[in-house]
This record gives sequence, structure tokens and C-alpha cells, in this order.
Amino acid sequence: MRGQWIRAVGNRLLHNLTTRLIILMMLAFMVITGINDYGRLVREREQLLAQIQRDERIFAETLALAVRQNLRRGRATEELEELFEGILARPGLLAVVIYDPDGTVVARSVAPGFEPPLSDQLIRDALAQREAASAMTDARTGRILRYVRPFRWSPGRVGAIEVQQTLAEMERQFRRAVRNTISSRLLVLALFVLSIAVLTRWSIARPMRALIAASRALARGEWDQRITIPRQDEIGELAAEFNRMAANLQATHAELLRQAEERLRLEQEVQQAQKLAAVGMLAAEVAHEIGTPLNVISGRAEVLDRIVPRDHPERRNLEIILSQAERIKTIIRALLDYTRPRRPSLRPEPILPILGRVASLLMDRGQRREVRLLLDLPIGLPAVLADAEQLQQLFLNLVLNALDATGRGGTVRITAGPGPVLPSDGRNGILRGKADAPTLAVHVIDTGKGLTAEELNHVFEPFFSTKTSGKGTGLGLPIAEEIVRGHRGEIEMLSVPDTGTEVIVRIPLSDGGVPSPTPATPETTSHGR
Amino acid sequence: MARQPSVLVVDDDPEMRALLLDVLHTEGYEVIEAKDGTEAVLALRARRFDVILMDKNMPGPSGLDLLPGFRRVCPDSKIILMTAFGDVPSYMEAVEKGAAEYLFKPFRMEELKAAITKAFRTDAESRL
Repeated sequence: MRGQWIRAVGNRLLHNLTTRLIILMMLAFMVITGINDYGRLVREREQLLAQIQRDERIFAETLALAVRQNLRRGRATEELEELFEGILARPGLLAVVIYDPDGTVVARSVAPGFEPPLSDQLIRDALAQREAASAMTDARTGRILRYVRPFRWSPGRVGAIEVQQTLAEMERQFRRAVRNTISSRLLVLALFVLSIAVLTRWSIARPMRALIAASRALARGEWDQRITIPRQDEIGELAAEFNRMAANLQATHAELLRQAEERLRLEQEVQQAQKLAAVGMLAAEVAHEIGTPLNVISGRAEVLDRIVPRDHPERRNLEIILSQAERIKTIIRALLDYTRPRRPSLRPEPILPILGRVASLLMDRGQRREVRLLLDLPIGLPAVLADAEQLQQLFLNLVLNALDATGRGGTVRITAGPGPVLPSDGRNGILRGKADAPTLAVHVIDTGKGLTAEELNHVFEPFFSTKTSGKGTGLGLPIAEEIVRGHRGEIEMLSVPDTGTEVIVRIPLSDGGVPSPTPATPETTSHGR
Repeated sequence: MARQPSVLVVDDDPEMRALLLDVLHTEGYEVIEAKDGTEAVLALRARRFDVILMDKNMPGPSGLDLLPGFRRVCPDSKIILMTAFGDVPSYMEAVEKGAAEYLFKPFRMEELKAAITKAFRTDAESRL
């Protein structure tokens, strides 16, 4: 548990950019200063050693001089030892030994507890060659420095004086110097690390954290998220780039939102229009059924009105019947006026934007039903004389019907061209309206279940629907017919059961009969290809 | 004007036919009735009428469908169409197809008389 936690922290530190930077810089610093310090310490040690050797030599020479004086005066070696008594007070001195020309110890003075190496090879060599020699040896008490200085014993003979000095003090000094160096370096290093940590935190970690927080906020959908890092370096550039990206995202999101709202508005408009049209159709049906009986009532009352004398006591009843019949007429007329589809305001309109809007409006629905919705139109289609809003409603109805009739994996295609697209075998057809000017034919073709001849005969009747109960209003095609008639165009429906349905809408061209290179047809009921 | 002016009433509603018959009789017209297109065609084969008063919406061929044929068969007859709560476009369509007059049900008997009188008058004018 604990180990895991430590590993986690370790991982986090290792993966932290600041930490990695610091470790790298620390290593570089340590290597550089380490090499430098090592060189300096070694040099200092050598200098110290050389100093000690020089001192020892001078000391030995001075002693040798004193011993010669004594020997010349013929003093005994015992006296020499007395001479040495006071010498050992010199710090670091371990032993002073005098050898006669045979290498025998004549006199010596040794620090208490120290056992000096005596009469060894170093002495013999120095006596034989009559030259000063020095050596460093390891004794039990630490390193010692030995110096042997030959001197004239008697004419033609040479004795020697040896001085042995400890190097422990020097070693101690050296170790202290190393310790001091290391601790001072560590202090500098700590300060260095601290300053780097603070610097990177201020210049990298803090803006990074701000960037990360802003990115998270952006991901949560806080589109107005911006960061202010008023700097000229790469971090500042990164912040500016982030802000630009956020602004772009915000704009894109706003645009998407606007499109969604537009789509919703259009859908609501279409629904509203459908509802109104449904009421209108119903009202028209009712009005049509009521018109005749109402006419019979008011007509009979009028007949009576002419016969019944002006002063007849029951005349009031007659007048009431007449006025109430008139009232019913007014009410129905008002209802019809309210619900009757407004007359189209026709003007030259390009068909492409209308069909494009319909396709984009229904693309989602197609995808949900796994039906491919294709807009397959040649470029340069001529303009039609139309009410764009009503045509949009018309094609919405037709494409919606097609999508509803088509199963998964099917296709609904919107195209334009003079002839029918479906194969002619076994096809049933129905035509409504009549176009007596050159038209542009728009086809809505589905690969759905198709309609029988009997069903086709009824499709343009209000409230007839092949959709499952409650799904269709049964008004889509009657409304379509009404719109097409309002445009002085025609609508044709061709269907092959189990193969598909093709609805062809022919809308008069706006330039009325000027020949056009694009598909436009005045023919009406040709069922061949 | 020895001959009595004649009217053919074509309407699928028997009550409406009865009303029109009563009113027009009272006005002094000779009235023959037909309940649909077929009966109307039979009546027109037998004789000619000054005025044909025909409902637009009937089972079988509608008044509008019959109109062009009647115009050809008896070009002298004035044809008045009737429809329940008609509107301007349907009026235009009827006139384009050769209707002399177009009455929107429910209409007042005064309107009916005026329309028939007008039909006779234009008829007389055109014969001058």
C-alpha cells in the first residue's frame, strides 16, 4: 500500500516536466563543479605535501649541521641524545635518528608510543650513495614522511640523520577541505535547485496549469474560456494560439446552434402548416357537406317568407330561421377564410436551394431510419415560377412519405428529368392537376413498399393513409395537390408494389416556354421511358 | 316568346332539387330535373334547355367535368354551376370552362333568380 503510494508519487514527479528539467540541470551542475573541485583539492594537497617536505628538509639540514658541530668537538653520542630531547616539541615530528657510517643508530629521539622503522634499505642506500633521500611509508599510526640526509662524519666517512614526520595532520586538513567543499557545493546546489524550481514553476508550470484548466473548461462546453498570459515567449504564443482555437470553437459551436435552431424553426413551421391544413381540409369537407342542406333550409324559409303575410303572428319564427341560417353561413365562411391555404405568391425561384433545404432538414431522419437520402440534381436547372415556402412544404411532405415508406438500407432519391425513372412494367399511376406551360419535373423516388392501383386511386383524398394508424395525417398528398394546383403545375404518382414509388412534380418554368438545355417537360402522362 | 323558358336542374341532393323546382316553377319556368351526369346527358339528348343549373360536386363525373361536353352538345344553353362555399379560384376555373354563372351554396333565391335572368338576358343579347 505504502510502496504503491510512493511509486505513484515517484511516477508523478518523474513525469512532471519541471522535475525532469531540474534533475537534468542538477546533474550537469554536479558533474561540472565536481570535476573542478576535484582538481583544486588534489592541487592543494600536493602543495601542502611539498610544503611539509621542504620544511622537513630544512629541519634535517639544520640538525645535520648541529650534529657535525658536536661531532667535531668530539662529544659522545650520549650527549647527542640530550641535544635531541627538546626537539620533539615540534608539531608533527615523530622521530629523529642519527646513523654512523656503518648504518648503526648512534642517537635517536622518538615520540612516545611511536615505533620508527630503523636501519632499513632507505638508510643504507643514502649512506652508500651519499645523497639525500625521502620516502612515504604507512605506519600503524598513519602515513609518515621520511627524509634521510647524509653528512660528513669524519674525513672520508659519511653518517646520516633521518627525520620522520607524520602526515596525519595534513590528511585531516585535506579531509576537512573535502568536507567543506562538498557541503558548500551542496548548499549552492540546493539554492540552485530551489531557484530553478521557482523559476520553472513561475514561467512554465503555472501557465501550463492555466492552459490545462482552460482546456478542461473548454471541453466542458464553457466556450467563452480565454487565458491571459501577457508574454512574448513561446508560452505566450501558445496561450494566444489557444485563445484563437477557443474563439474558432466558439464560433463553430454558435453556428451549429444557429443551424439547429433554424432546423427546429422550419420543422415547427411545417408542423404548424400541416396542422392548419388539416383543420382547413376538415373545414372544407364539413362546409361542403353542410352547404346544400343549409341552402335547402334558407331556400324553403325564403319560399315561406314570400307566402306568409307581413302581419302573421308566426312570422317572427320564419325570420329567426332565415337569420340563423345566414349566421351559420357567416361562421363557416369565416372558418374557411381562416384555414384556406393562402394563395401562393409566385415569383421566379431556383429549385436547388429549396430542395437543398428539404434534404438537409430530413437528412437526420433518414440516417435514423438507415435510409440513404440522395440529392441528385444536374447543375444549371432553370428557375420555376413558385412560392418557395409552399414548394418547400410540398417536397417536405413528399420526401417524408418516401422515407416512411422505405425500409432499412433503402434509398430515397431526389432528381430532375423529363421522363419517369421507375421501370414501366407493372406500374400504376395517377395524375392530378394540369400544366399547360413548359415545366421542370422533380422526381422523388423511393425503394419502398409501393402502392397498389386501388391505393393509388385514393392517395389524393383527404384522410386516406397507408401508414399505420396515428402515424400519418392522411393530408400530406392532398396538401401537395393543392400546392401544385396553386402553382398551375401537376403531380403524378407512379408505383410498383414491393419495388417503390415515384412522385413527379411538374412546376411551370419562370421564363414560360423559352427552350432550355436542362430537363423540362411539357408532356404530362407519358408512362414510357 | 311563345315557348316557356326551360331549365335543367342537375343536383344529387333530392331536397335541393325539390327546392329549385318549386322556386323556378313559381317563377314560371319549365323545369326538368336530373340527379346526376347520366340523367342530365339523357335529358339533353331528348331536348334543349335555355339554362342548365348544375351542382359542381356530384357522384360520378363532376359538374366541372361535364361542363366542356355540355358546351359542345348544346352551345346555346347557358350553364350555371353551383358549389358549396366556393372560392375565387374555383369560380375562375368554372368561368374558364364556359360557365355563364357560378353560385356559391347557400345562396338566396333572389341571387338564383338574378343569375337566371342575367343568363336569359345575355342569351337574348347574343342573338341580336
